Amino acid sequence: MEEQSLQAIIEEIWPRLKRKHFYPELPMPTVGELPEPNQDGEERSEGVGLEMKQKQMRINSAFVHKMRERMSDRQVIEALLDHGITHYTFCPWDFHTHLMLYAEAKKVVPDKGLAKRVADCFIDLIADTHCVKKRSTEIPELHRCLKKGPVEEVIASLCQKIWGIDLGIPAFGASAKKNEAIVRRLARIPYLDRSRWPESIQKFARSLKPLLYEEQEEQENRGGKGASNPQGEHDLTHYSRDEIDQGLRDYVKRTMALSEFKEVIEDFSEELKEAGYGMEGGMGRGLSTPIDSDVLFYMKLAENYSIPLKKLPLEKKGVLHPHSHSPWEVGSPFQDVDIWTSFGKVMPGITQIWKKREGKGRGKMEGTPDCLIAIDSSGSMINPRKSLSYAVLGAACAANAYLQNDANVAVYNFSDAPMGGKDILDYTNRREDIYRVLCRYFGGGTALDLDDLIPLIRGRKNLDLFIITDMKITNLETLISFFGEIENRITAVHIGENPYASRFEKAVEKKRNINIFTVKRKEDIPHIVLGKIREYFNPT
Amino acid sequence: MRNSTSERRKAEPAAERLNPKIRNPFEEFKTFTGEKRDLPLDRIVQSTEEVMDRIRKGYEKLLEEEAKELVWMVQYNTIIKAYEVAEKYIKEIDYSAEDIEDFCFALENTQRVPYLIPGPAGIYISALCNYAKEEEIVLKLSELKTEINLIGFRLPSGKRLAIEGDTGDFTGIGLEGGELVVEGNAKNWTGAGMRGGVIWVKKNIGLHTGEWMMGGEIRVGGRIRSLGNIVEGKVFERDKLVYPGKARIPNLYY
Repeated sequence: MEEQSLQAIIEEIWPRLKRKHFYPELPMPTVGELPEPNQDGEERSEGVGLEMKQKQMRINSAFVHKMRERMSDRQVIEALLDHGITHYTFCPWDFHTHLMLYAEAKKVVPDKGLAKRVADCFIDLIADTHCVKKRSTEIPELHRCLKKGPVEEVIASLCQKIWGIDLGIPAFGASAKKNEAIVRRLARIPYLDRSRWPESIQKFARSLKPLLYEEQEEQENRGGKGASNPQGEHDLTHYSRDEIDQGLRDYVKRTMALSEFKEVIEDFSEELKEAGYGMEGGMGRGLSTPIDSDVLFYMKLAENYSIPLKKLPLEKKGVLHPHSHSPWEVGSPFQDVDIWTSFGKVMPGITQIWKKREGKGRGKMEGTPDCLIAIDSSGSMINPRKSLSYAVLGAACAANAYLQNDANVAVYNFSDAPMGGKDILDYTNRREDIYRVLCRYFGGGTALDLDDLIPLIRGRKNLDLFIITDMKITNLETLISFFGEIENRITAVHIGENPYASRFEKAVEKKRNINIFTVKRKEDIPHIVLGKIREYFNPT
Repeated sequence: MRNSTSERRKAEPAAERLNPKIRNPFEEFKTFTGEKRDLPLDRIVQSTEEVMDRIRKGYEKLLEEEAKELVWMVQYNTIIKAYEVAEKYIKEIDYSAEDIEDFCFALENTQRVPYLIPGPAGIYISALCNYAKEEEIVLKLSELKTEINLIGFRLPSGKRLAIEGDTGDFTGIGLEGGELVVEGNAKNWTGAGMRGGVIWVKKNIGLHTGEWMMGGEIRVGGRIRSLGNIVEGKVFERDKLVYPGKARIPNLYY
């Protein structure tokens, strides 16, 4: 009954709130009784007031009930919803920003729990400050009425100072004096300047650090957890799967640092697993196997680059015709987009592409052959699990290009192959398996074993070869003569310049089916055109 | 009356004026002016930025005058001259202890301060501390990646400077009666040429500690790597007097 009346309040104020916040694309909030994560902190807080899962806000009726003596239901709901909406419209805005803020906080506060707490406090403070500055809101009243722990008291004291609104925090007294220096430092941070959030959160964390450690110690002594955040916890459930994907892609592109990415992924591994990340079950819906953060790093980084792929005339039974729809992903061919069912938008999650099927008949048409990727993981190459390897990134981009064109990919990862330094993956379209073999590192010498390669090539009339190496191969001459015999399209990518690479280039310069590219920087990767055949019939 | 009508007309869109039946589809958005208000935060941030700009410019001018080739040698004369130049610019700025701390972190951000040359930077920070309004300054520098050299140079009597974190070479040189507290480690030549006051180093200290020291005390919570040639003053290692005394020989490494 009570929930119904609260829902009625929401329904009444929601149009006004939406208008106030310039019509955010959020569904009507609901009311429910949220499970309390811990009972220990209950004496010091009213519990969680708001939950946001994949954009659906849910008000905790128990929280509203507890606040009833101090604020009207309408005020509590409006303040919570203003806060929740501002998370969506201003801070953190997206998953990438959330991750970035967490990673910056962790540079100052290495403890995972405390770094999350810093990021949460910072995000909440920005959301509230933005709301107080730009909208008429009940948030200050909510702050005035909430029970406060030591950290919350400092934050409230800070809000009082930077908002210029009395929140009932005494300006004098022992605790005020103790907090004065912290508040003075915190008040200088430009919270509303988004471009400075990375440095701002570091300063925020530096200032709050002693207090957070004190709080943590106190909690450990009491043997319990901290109080719940009345304005809602900030975890990955806020974001949809697409947003997490996009966020990881943006984050990995910005940092380009494997170690930093690994650290963040390990910290969020539980939440990511819940979101469906976990290699064994595929990137779709995995069950609790450890997330291979290295593989995820290259996967997300490779999604930022797309390599053009020239199609070949393939013998087919018949022409392709549009058969069914599938979601469009970044890097998928645009020409297959169905503009009618995609509402004219090119956006993951909305856009759909036509899946084509072969009809009956016989003839030749353009298609994408399967690809065999040979990757060098000898000692002269960078270990992809220690730092960013352009070789793996390049191979990953190539694999993506073929997979997105519905072709299969096989991987031959080699160092000293005749001595067992090799990993072979047969033709597959399972992206995670391909990435796992690409990320494998052997070290040691470099030699190809043609006995391994030939079975992967034999019997396949149309097959592309993609080899990525620094060319410091012991049996380079064997490889050159092998390439001289086959007519498949070969894309050879070498990392850096060296005499071996020059030798290879010279030896195959007359072969029309071999293209050589050099990768010195990550920016060179998009310049690789897979399967491009040199124009020998140039009149000049 | 005429004025108000003409003003209203100006506000009305042309289409509505011509045909009152046409409704502006964006009419509803007219109320969306928002209640944007100025917060004290805006003022605080703006004044902080202005002060930081002036501090930064002062440092850049110091570099222009004293480290033209971006090379700076630590010599008695160069230190004195750089300090005089720093004093000249700092006297004109109204700043607080928090501004000094922010400047220390800004030095590591190449977008904000183009060059961090440890010598002049340390001299400049010392001058900032010496001319600050506050008698007690706490600089939370434990997250700073670079250790600042020459910090606490000429700290005058009546001032207390506490550094949370480690400091570099020449910490507290020429101390003039102030109290310098280093919560972490200090490197070589700490307290060289100090005339009075106290230097507290909570952890360890490097080589040539107290070289040409003329007075005052150096108290070290951890180990002293080596003492310099001390003229006068006292040096304590874990509360034990090591100078004057026979416990430590100058310039012998421990």
